[in-house]
Amino acid sequence: MTGFIAVCLAWLWLGAASGCSPGDPDPVTLRVLASSELADMRPLLEDLRRDTGVTLEMDYRGTVDASNALVPGHYRHDLAWLSSDRYFQLKVKAAGHNIEKPLSTSIMRSPVVVGMKPATADRLRRATPGGQISWADVADASAEGSLKFAMADPRHTNSGLAALVGVATAAAGTGGALRAEDVSCDRLRGFFAGHALTEDSSTRLTDGFVRRQDDLDALITYESELLSLNSGGKLRRPLEIVYPKDGMVLSDYPLLLLDPAKRAAYDRMVDWLKSEPVQKKIMERTLRRPIDPAVPRVPVLREPVGNALYFPDRQEVVDRLLADYGDPQRDKPAQVIFLLDFSGSMRGERIAKVRATFDGLSGADDSRSGKFVRFYRGESLTVMRFGGRVLDDRSLTYDGQRDLDRLRGFVASDDFDTSTAIWSTLDRAYTKVAGIVRDHPGQAVSIVLMTDGENNAGMNLDAFISRHEARPQPARAVRTYTIRYGEADTKELDRAARATGGRMIDATAQSLLSAFKEIRGCVK
Amino acid sequence: MVIGERPVIEEPRLAVRRPSSSLWSRRSLLIILLPVLAAVLTGVAVLAVSGNILLPFERVVTLEGKMASKRDFFEDEEVQRLLLKHHIRVHITSSGSREVAIGDVASYDFVFPSGQPAGDLITSQRAAKNQYVKVHRPFVSPIVLATYREYAETLRAAGIATPQHASGKGRPLYYVLDMQKFLTSIDEKKRWNDIGIQNLGITNANRILAQGPDVCGSNSAGTYLALVAFTWHGENDEVPDTDTEADDRARAIKHLLEQGLPAADVFRTYLSPEGKGIAPVVVAYEHQYLTYQVQYQAESMELDSQRVLLYPDSQFVTQPQFISLTREGERLGELITRDPELRQRAMELGFRILDPSGEVAGDQLSRFLRQRHIPVPSMEGDNTRSSMPRLRFLERMISIVGDCPAAGTSAGTSAGTSAGTSPGLPE
Repeated sequence: MTGFIAVCLAWLWLGAASGCSPGDPDPVTLRVLASSELADMRPLLEDLRRDTGVTLEMDYRGTVDASNALVPGHYRHDLAWLSSDRYFQLKVKAAGHNIEKPLSTSIMRSPVVVGMKPATADRLRRATPGGQISWADVADASAEGSLKFAMADPRHTNSGLAALVGVATAAAGTGGALRAEDVSCDRLRGFFAGHALTEDSSTRLTDGFVRRQDDLDALITYESELLSLNSGGKLRRPLEIVYPKDGMVLSDYPLLLLDPAKRAAYDRMVDWLKSEPVQKKIMERTLRRPIDPAVPRVPVLREPVGNALYFPDRQEVVDRLLADYGDPQRDKPAQVIFLLDFSGSMRGERIAKVRATFDGLSGADDSRSGKFVRFYRGESLTVMRFGGRVLDDRSLTYDGQRDLDRLRGFVASDDFDTSTAIWSTLDRAYTKVAGIVRDHPGQAVSIVLMTDGENNAGMNLDAFISRHEARPQPARAVRTYTIRYGEADTKELDRAARATGGRMIDATAQSLLSAFKEIRGCVK
Repeated sequence: MVIGERPVIEEPRLAVRRPSSSLWSRRSLLIILLPVLAAVLTGVAVLAVSGNILLPFERVVTLEGKMASKRDFFEDEEVQRLLLKHHIRVHITSSGSREVAIGDVASYDFVFPSGQPAGDLITSQRAAKNQYVKVHRPFVSPIVLATYREYAETLRAAGIATPQHASGKGRPLYYVLDMQKFLTSIDEKKRWNDIGIQNLGITNANRILAQGPDVCGSNSAGTYLALVAFTWHGENDEVPDTDTEADDRARAIKHLLEQGLPAADVFRTYLSPEGKGIAPVVVAYEHQYLTYQVQYQAESMELDSQRVLLYPDSQFVTQPQFISLTREGERLGELITRDPELRQRAMELGFRILDPSGEVAGDQLSRFLRQRHIPVPSMEGDNTRSSMPRLRFLERMISIVGDCPAAGTSAGTSAGTSAGTSPGLPE
């Protein structure tokens, strides 16, 4: 007690301290640009004002929108309080070297994870060796149509962006931060086939999920949001919180000082927020994890968060992801046209491998990459079998297991031809494509041509290329990926693919399944 | 006093709890304080005699300081108490050490970068402009990698780490890390799963690496960079001697330091209950870890045997530079270098304090740790002696690895913290 009084006395004498001084520090009002999910801190702001004299005027926005509103040198607020300042940091870094970043202090933490209906989680767990659910399992179930999830718009919200970076990092599977070459491939269409609800804020997303809880299976958002929802009594059954085995992205709610003249108030506020009782109160009220290592976690927060994924350090990587997957309405599912060589040399083991490949892409391949690049709900698939002529040409849109069975039927035929008309077949495919893109502008279409021999019937490659060049632009824009198998002509396949903007993949040095997967998601 | 603002990419540092008295409402404070105030005022002479309080009749000077992880020292309540006896309070602005150096320090009384390169940047710039500058080097601390038992044991099983000889009985707290092998696994893009972390009940598909603060802002990250460059290059030709060599070496090691966007405050994250998932291996200073164990031991009467240290086999000792920029600042510098109580407290916070000749002062730290029942990390000089590149070249390397501009330095400035266990003091 003596010590305490002595210290208070000293502070009194100086008239400078906030704690011991009977005179409150100067009241001050600060304008704060804040992430919308921080609205749940509102009840604490009154305590803040009472204890420190700091009143906050909150201006809530989506985190990504807020980050975009922060222009160094032209700040319009005194502070910014974001769920994460990573996007802002990337922007500052990309903008050039001489911009000073504002003083920044993390206040609390929450990972972006998956809340799943218990039945869904059980089903996924049973199908997974080791029983730990990964992003790949979520992607697989989404592609298959058995999982519909809610996720906020990554162009506006931090929870959406963190989820997108998380799933993309898991899909790339390098174990490191995403690089430009990792996001140039389309690996997330299967995952997004399950994206059934989006919103511009995580709060509205949660509300939307509650309204549609009967037809949705999962909610991808902050752990804190999921825990609050579970204890809020609005769900018929609480969600199970799944910390994906392949990692998650964490938010740390930094408080940024934009106006250096407000430093004293900022210091008071930070000291207060980081003090043990307030950290504890934040935890109990919002179910975010304290930044203070020493505050004992409430039981629901003792669950390990799993491994943090490394966050990309280049803005162009994140922007590319946002451009490709940001818009939930972005595009209709893609259409793929497979041209499969059914000449005599394919008989036996080779055709067996083609059939196994189609099985693999239909969901039998349970590798991580297989789960990401498999056929997905809504995708249109066309199989043209050819020899000296097109043997048959059948299409379907994947809508359920029945369609996968039909697809298997497309490649099950044992009707082989004696010659190989590669370029006439490809030419015919482009005639079909020209019709598709004319009738459905904007439809994503690609062609995959697999052959194990040389062209010995129909038009030659030169003839194909000159006819191709004469086609209307939208048809020419459709790429052909060629798969070299058996004794096929490397040079010709490479040249044809390049002429359409695609490329050749050699399946003689790797499995046929790997070659198909490489086309679908640049995965090996 | 107007304070210049700096971005904060903090170095690993230990959170030091502040008293949370600010929660008290004004009214309740008055109720408590008014009666006791009268009593206290009458007894003030008695209290003053005890030496524990400031004489209220003398002015206390508040000094503005800017630093990174060494704020642990000034945020320590005992250090604050000792300084009040000398009528000094310290107000701290956090900043990475290198950021301290490349930013404007005009509004500060002192700065306390965690290592010599940043210190030299400041002193050379001040000297060139004929501004007040004095340097004190009160203590040193080696750069280490802080990790968890499972990770250390996985490295041990993979032949990359070995327990330190003098670790004492029981499970070792300290390991020696074979940097060459460690970096080779990073170079081979190995993941924790590839070297058998599952055998210890953990799954981690992330690449093996040591997380550090932003190399563009921090001393520990810059020192770790130098350590990596030194190890990766081999031991025949220790440091780069030309711009081209520096650039080549930086490019050769850039991929070994890739960690995506660096996180702030990695050491505190490491200490948190979530640390094992978020920051399983982090670049830190030995003193941060020792302070933590001392506190842990004091609170729970046992060691935290889950958190352990990896000492790189080629040891880099960092030497914090207390740089006074004003005469008031210099008074503080003198105090922390010479005042026996402050020196004692620095040692209790895990620093290896230096005697006036610049040698590590005896084995005081060992004795202190033994008293607190904390195993003593091996301090003998069986480490490879290695040295930091000269400042100009280190700056070029930081600039390439971190993708940030090099600070302007005069070619002759030396960043040469000599390393090993007895860092010599230049000049």
